[in-house]
Order: sequence, then C-alpha cells, then structure tokens
Amino acid sequence: MMTPLAINWSHVWMVTGLGFCMVIALLVVLIFILKLLGAVVSSAVKAPKAEQPKAAAQAPAAQAAPAAAQASADDDLAAIAMALHLYFNGVHDVEPTEIHIKRVERSGWNSKLYGMNNLHR
Amino acid sequence: MGDILEFFEQMGFMNMTIQQGIMLLLSFFLLYLAIKKQYEPLLLLPIAFGMLLTNLPGAGMYHSELWTAFLDANSPAYHSYGTIMREGGLLDILYIGVKAGVYPCLIFMGVGAMTDFGPLIANPKSLLLGAAAQLGIFLTFLAANSMGFTEAQAGSIGIIGGADGPTSIFLTSKLAPELLGPIAIAAYSYMALVPVIQPPIMRALTTKKERAIKMSQLRPVSKTEKIIFPIAITTIVALILPDAAPLIGCLMLGNLAKECGVVDRLSKTMQNELMNIVVIFLGLTVGATATASSFLDWSTIKIMVMGVVAFGCGTAGGILLAKLMNVFSKEKINPLIGSAGVSAVPMAARVSQQVGQEENPSNFLLMHAMGPNVAGVIGSAVAAGILLTMLG
Repeated sequence: MMTPLAINWSHVWMVTGLGFCMVIALLVVLIFILKLLGAVVSSAVKAPKAEQPKAAAQAPAAQAAPAAAQASADDDLAAIAMALHLYFNGVHDVEPTEIHIKRVERSGWNSKLYGMNNLHR
Repeated sequence: MGDILEFFEQMGFMNMTIQQGIMLLLSFFLLYLAIKKQYEPLLLLPIAFGMLLTNLPGAGMYHSELWTAFLDANSPAYHSYGTIMREGGLLDILYIGVKAGVYPCLIFMGVGAMTDFGPLIANPKSLLLGAAAQLGIFLTFLAANSMGFTEAQAGSIGIIGGADGPTSIFLTSKLAPELLGPIAIAAYSYMALVPVIQPPIMRALTTKKERAIKMSQLRPVSKTEKIIFPIAITTIVALILPDAAPLIGCLMLGNLAKECGVVDRLSKTMQNELMNIVVIFLGLTVGATATASSFLDWSTIKIMVMGVVAFGCGTAGGILLAKLMNVFSKEKINPLIGSAGVSAVPMAARVSQQVGQEENPSNFLLMHAMGPNVAGVIGSAVAAGILLTMLG
C-alpha cells in the first residue's frame, strides 16, 4: 500500500508551512469581509433611524411600535430568566398531574334546556 | 450427488478466508457500537453493514479489482464508468457517487441547510480559532510522510484532523482512494469519540481561571447579513481557491436556502430526504471499500494512530491560539471554545460547554463555541482545497 520512495522533505515542509499559512490567511481575509459586511449592514440599518424624529412627528404610532417590541423582548427575557432560575434551583411548584373538571349542576339559570321551548311540528 | 457437492462448493462458508472472517467480526463489532453504544449510528450503521456485505464471499456486490483497473492508466477500463456499470455489483454502482465526489458535496449541502452561521457572523474572530484548529491536519501530514506514506496518502490521513467526515472522504477519494475505507472509518470513529478525546487535552492546556472566563453576549445578527454571508463566502473562497469550490459552494447553497426563507421546500429536502438518502449511499459504499485485502494492513493501524494525533493537535491548536488572543485582546475569550475549531458540529461545541460548566455552572459557552465550530467546517474545507491544489 505504501510506496517506498525517497521523501522529498523540502516539498513536504513547503506544503506543511505554506498550506497552514494559506488556511490562516484565507480565513483572515474572511474575517475582514465579515467585519465589513457587519459594518455596512449596521450602517444601513442606522441610517433610517437618523431620520426618525422627523418621521416620528408625522406618525407617532410608528414610533411606538419599536418601543413596544423592545418591551416585549424584555418581558420574554425576564420570563426565560425566571424559568431557568426555577428549573436550576428546583424551586418550581410541584404541579398536580390531575386535571379536575368541575361539573356544574343544571339549574334554571345556567341550562338552555330550561330556557327554550320545544317547537311542536 | 454432484449437484449437492456443487451447491456446497458455492456456499460462502466454503470460500471464506480467515481475513474475511476477521472483517465480518469487525463489522459485527461496529454494528454493536452503532446500535448499542450509539456512536454516530446514522453513519456507522451503514458503514458497518457495507463492510459486512463486501466481505461476504461470493456475494459480488463490490469488486475492488474493477476500481484498481479504473485507476490504472494502462488498463482498458481506465476511468471507464461504463465498465463499472456493465460489470459491477450494486455497491460498485453506488460507489460512483463517492468516486466522482458527489456524495460529500450533497452532504455538505444538507449540513449547510442545518447550520446557523449567526454566531460566526456575530464574532468573526472565531474564524481564527477555526483556522488554528487545522494545525492537526498539517502536523499529521508531516508525521505521515515520515512514516513512509506518499505525500498524497499523507494529505488524506492528515485531513482526519479536520474532524469532518465528508471532507475526509472527498479529499481521500481524489488523492488516495486506496485508503478510503480506513480513513473514513477513522474519521467517523474519532468524531464519535470527541467527548472522550478532547476534555483531557482541554484541561491540560488551560488553567481553572481560564476555564471559568465568562464571555459577553453575542450581538444579534440581521437576516440581511445571514443572506449575504453564504454568497460572499462562496464568491471569495472559490475565487481564491477554486479546488475548495465544490465543498464550500454546496455548504453555502444549503445555508442560503435556509436563510433566504423563500425556498422552504428545498431547504427541508436538503436537510432531510436528500441528506438521508446520501448518507445511506455514502455509508454503505465507504464501508464496502473496507475489504479484507485493503483493510487488514499495518497502514490501517498507523492511520488509526495518526487520526488520534491529528485530532489532538487540532484541539490543542485551537486552544493555544485562543490563549494567545487573550494576551493581545482586551475582551477575554474562554480558551475552551478554541477546541471547537475542529469541525465535528455540534459535538465539539457541546464539549466546550460541558467542560466550561464543570468550572462555572452559570457559564454558557455553547453559542460562543458554535462560532469556531462552524468556522472549523469552512477551515477544513479550505484545508482540503489547499491540499488538493498542492498534492492533486
């Protein structure tokens, strides 16, 4: 399976060193591209915000929407944090596993049977 | 009486060699690992069954001699898929997908459709950790050369350190197809053993204080960034390194289908039906290459040993670079996430999370580790492209 050839060590070292450096270099290029992408996209998102006061005066409802979304996100985070706290510290209530259905007795006040007349055909 | 004797002579039992018997036992052991121990069962089970089928004497489902002729420039069957279709068995025909490099790319498409690159986009420095973890590939390449393997074989053995099965198969099928069986089995076995191999190295290379470092929350990533990311990565990587284009292109196509949100049907097909079908074909055929004559060899044992070395060096490379980055960076990063730079998604990231929580139970490293983890997928595909360019 193996070929007993003399090893060309200079080529082997070249592939090792150059190959690894090329992996690093290519991924460093990708880092710059990703940073650039992040900067461009975030600036594109921020640009409309700069015009927001002017727009907000015309449409107060539109301004309220992001604030409501932020409040909703905060509520979600608080609920998740509370659930994690209860779970990891074992302080959640012990839930009864039975479902109770309370049967209501019929009376003249809550049943249609007593309030409707059968139609004679 | 003559018919009965002929029947007995044709039985597999009568024609079985000791080597084939050993391979059958090995396939039973791998099936046990897949079913009972659940070590990467989705891949190990078809691989083990392929190994079982190929070593059944007389079944004729896979013919290694046809593929030897396929690679022999002096043979009339040189690069002749027609000969394979005409004379091959079921597994020979399915193996064409491996030989042509189709299956690993289709699997990468599914992987892309299942992967969230958000943590990587939020923290692009993760790419450095993914690059450093490829150190294992190149050190093992060096070691394999010194052990008498050819450069092409050494490159294929080194890629085990990328901890990426499809990449290992893709590169090996191009550079050293004769080693495909042992390399695929080593790559998938060690991927399953990531939770065993990595933690001791992680603990040895880090202090308690470093393992307890808490990292700040990642910034949210917009949908626009997630859509532009696969397009930009494909374009840049393929322009710089065309040999990496099949793997990176398919990975990013799958990811784009997931993120753009307009082709949900395609995305779901890539994640489920396509992925599952290809995994069956790939597993069966890779297992089928593990014939007794090619597998029971000293080089297989050497490959297994060097696979561990490759994994260990990759893990160490990621951790050491994370420590180095802490020297220069104001914002400290937990070195444990460096070990996730070997792909093995998401197993390696989970290991970082587990080891981190041993020191500080309130520390959640999973999302931070996913950055280097998916960077490792890109890094190993890039390393495969570089090895293919230099050694192919």
